[in-house]
Amino acid sequence: MKSFAAFVTTSALAMSAAGFSTTALALDVEAAKGLAEQNNCMQCHGLRKDKDGPSFLSTADKYRGKANAVDEIVKHMTSGKKVKLADGTQENHKVAKTIPPNDAAQLKNLAQYILSIQAK
Amino acid sequence: MANLESGKGGIWAALRRPSAKYSLLSLLAIGFVSGLVFWGSFNTAMEASNRQEFCIGCHEMKNNVYEEYKYSIHYSNRTGVKAYCSDCHVPKDWTNKLIRKVKASYEVWGKITGKIDTKEKFEAHRLEMAEREWARMKASNSIECRNCHSFEAMSAELQKKIPYKKHMEAKAEGKTCIECHKGIAHRLPKGYKRPGADEE
Repeated sequence: MKSFAAFVTTSALAMSAAGFSTTALALDVEAAKGLAEQNNCMQCHGLRKDKDGPSFLSTADKYRGKANAVDEIVKHMTSGKKVKLADGTQENHKVAKTIPPNDAAQLKNLAQYILSIQAK
Repeated sequence: MANLESGKGGIWAALRRPSAKYSLLSLLAIGFVSGLVFWGSFNTAMEASNRQEFCIGCHEMKNNVYEEYKYSIHYSNRTGVKAYCSDCHVPKDWTNKLIRKVKASYEVWGKITGKIDTKEKFEAHRLEMAEREWARMKASNSIECRNCHSFEAMSAELQKKIPYKKHMEAKAEGKTCIECHKGIAHRLPKGYKRPGADEE
């Protein structure tokens, strides 16, 4: 049992050193918020409040723990696919833009930020 | 004083003394032509300082905000309608344009003193510079935006439903463009916080 605990601790440290568990540390909240504001995301999405679109919290709850959650959210932000609005109608989602264009790191950072939103 | 009264000396006396050599017509013609030259030069200088090449003549603008603007819809878009720096940052009417130019001369002081001569320094001052410009735009009811965009010309059929709804709400509330459309041509400054963001 003791050796198992030591194994878990060692593994965690090793993964941390290798950057596997540094997702939260790598997240730049201010940059993510800036990108969301720049793209006017918050006109339709509240942080924890549903507007014409679901809140970031609802999105986080939907994707959290799923494999490829970040990629799925990035795809949602950039593909311009049809989305269902609060009134039941559909509209093409705005394509999020970055400076420079299509900067995957900025988009992933925003997706990570969305996934990090917790209920108060 | 005695000289002024007698009209025999002093610069004012010379200026006030009627010409004995030139006719009134000659003096008027010279004044008219000089006026035209002055006015033309002044306006040419005003227009020249509105050109993009002038705006990005200093590296502070060229390496920071201009680089970002190049990726914006106001620089390149489907229909090829381009908004230059002055289209958004300088009023079109003469009086306000002149006032803006005078105020912009403070920026030259910033240039001379090197207040924002590195990327780091520029970023450190970006929020205060942006807030000053946003306040100016709000005070002018976003007149530079409205030179091209108007609520009335927005088509409910052609504009996406949600933006159209938001625009009509903004119109009813008497909001002005810059209140919602910050950072459309340049990066939003670090530290910017939208009013009411925490309540969402």
